[in-house]
Amino acid sequence: MNITIIQVVLTICIALIAIYMYIRLRSGLFDVILIGLFFAVGIFFVLFPETTNDIAHFVGVSKGANLFLYTAILFLFFLILKLYSRLRRVEQKFTEFVRNKSLEEAEELDKKN
Amino acid sequence: MIRKTVTEVLEKGYNIVVVDDCSKDGSKKQVTGLPVYYLRHRVNMGQGAALQTGIDFAKKKGAKYFITFDADGQHDSNDIPGMIEFLEKEKVDVVFGSRFLPGSKTNVSRYRSVALNFGRYINFLVSGIMLSDSFNGFRLLSKSAAEKITLTENRMAHPAEFLLLTAEKKLKYREYPVAIHYSDYSRGKGLKNRDGIKILFEILLYKIFR
Repeated sequence: MNITIIQVVLTICIALIAIYMYIRLRSGLFDVILIGLFFAVGIFFVLFPETTNDIAHFVGVSKGANLFLYTAILFLFFLILKLYSRLRRVEQKFTEFVRNKSLEEAEELDKKN
Repeated sequence: MIRKTVTEVLEKGYNIVVVDDCSKDGSKKQVTGLPVYYLRHRVNMGQGAALQTGIDFAKKKGAKYFITFDADGQHDSNDIPGMIEFLEKEKVDVVFGSRFLPGSKTNVSRYRSVALNFGRYINFLVSGIMLSDSFNGFRLLSKSAAEKITLTENRMAHPAEFLLLTAEKKLKYREYPVAIHYSDYSRGKGLKNRDGIKILFEILLYKIFR
């Protein structure tokens, strides 16, 4: 089996992400299993990219890499939407906080406090 | 400049709430000594947020009518009494100031007119309300309108939000011709035409995520 450069690079990246996640989340057994699974599946597809073609063909996409790209775009888009709506909620809370503060501190400028 | 604006409105006998949106140019010093309520945001939040803060405060004080009035001198306090009279006579909840109705004295530039004209179609698409001037900051709200409308768009999409809420809450509204005096000062302070793209984007996001 010939290992290409990109396979080495991707394997290292996936391993690093898995280690990072493990350090950040190291809580329950469930997390470790999930990270381990993610790691294993990722490495498997990197080392045997032809297997993704079979899945792609099954759903009607010509190449495994394309299928991966499509799902990745969808997933990222979904993530952006979630993040943005979270951001809006945070901003509204923050506005409320600043507003209440300013209402409490209202002054009448012709009167000495 | 804000002192001049505030003084002119004070002379007409109205109560004023000045909302300082964390300005760095010493706005407070300018209005010190005048009989106004002064509120300051500790953090810069945007025009929409400042308007809502002012309205909230006036509600707490038991105001009967609420006028939003830009501080840069572009509005004319002489329009206020007529506007209130108009609201009472027409029995509406909201009066929108318009610089494009007959009877308005306005020195708006050609390009600005085109941008505003485009903008009012956008606001119409968002809200279903077509005004002759949908980005005018000069508005009059009745007490019930002030209770029903709460702006959550902190920055520049609030005119669209205001219209949408007016429609949703089934408030009655009319337009009233008001003067706009653009000066070099207000041109420096206010929006540039190129801000239109930003506003458009904000309105779009508002419509999707509200």
